[in-house]
Amino acid sequence: MINNTRTSHEIHATPPGDLAIWFFIYAELLAFGVFFVAYAFARANNVELFNESQQHLNRTSGAINTLVLITSSYFMVRAVAAIKQGLSNSCARWIAAAIGLGFVFLAIKIAEFNATFATGISLSTNTFYMFYLSLTLFHFMHVILGMVILAAIMVKALRGGYSAENHIGVETGASYWHMVDLLWIILFPLVYVIR
Amino acid sequence: MDTPHKPHFIRPCTRIWLALMILTCTTFAIGETGWSGTAVMLTVLGTAVIKVEMVANYFMGLRRTRWLWRGLVLGWLILVSGLITIAYLMTVK
Repeated sequence: MINNTRTSHEIHATPPGDLAIWFFIYAELLAFGVFFVAYAFARANNVELFNESQQHLNRTSGAINTLVLITSSYFMVRAVAAIKQGLSNSCARWIAAAIGLGFVFLAIKIAEFNATFATGISLSTNTFYMFYLSLTLFHFMHVILGMVILAAIMVKALRGGYSAENHIGVETGASYWHMVDLLWIILFPLVYVIR
Repeated sequence: MDTPHKPHFIRPCTRIWLALMILTCTTFAIGETGWSGTAVMLTVLGTAVIKVEMVANYFMGLRRTRWLWRGLVLGWLILVSGLITIAYLMTVK
């Protein structure tokens, strides 16, 4: 049996989870980083347009979604903690709770998109909305992918596929989900707040 | 079989979760005031940088890995937030 136990206070050679997911995470950070910087420089050339358009965004739903994703991310910390104790059912419940909050995020975002599109706004309305819709839709896709990954891990946990000694899959899914949260933590202030 | 003790990282991560919630509410409150300007931008962006480091080091567990892995995230964060700051400062008259 593979032993993936990571003891509490030592420094590990690699991050938690499968190392392959970390290369994927760093590639995603790079892609979103380019997007964030492109947004900032596009804004520098159209400050008044960006500031005026930003006023029409629903900042409250953006903030609630930030709280939702942070809490969902914390639930995955608890899921990892549970499986490290060998508590498969508890791990599955924490993952289910994290997925549940993922659905809350999607529901709020869909409502926000609906409200935006209902006013006739689209990708071609102006540069600000092109960035706003592209960035948030790109992130939206990552939330969906993360939920699919978490669902697969939850099913495996329910079937007893993980243990206190072998839980690399749970850590891998959790790492991806934390990345989704981390990206939104920058996206929210950048697009919804800073002017 | 004895149930293993709760992993050591739960309590610090719970504190981090609370801090993240408070910092998010702070960012939202600043947004609601309608304030703008360099100081506000640096405060909001700085808050985001701190939050990202919290998630990376505590939730993702990078603080217990070799410096390289943390450094990659920190380097990315410094580069992205630095360029965003430069872009915003370009518009200050």
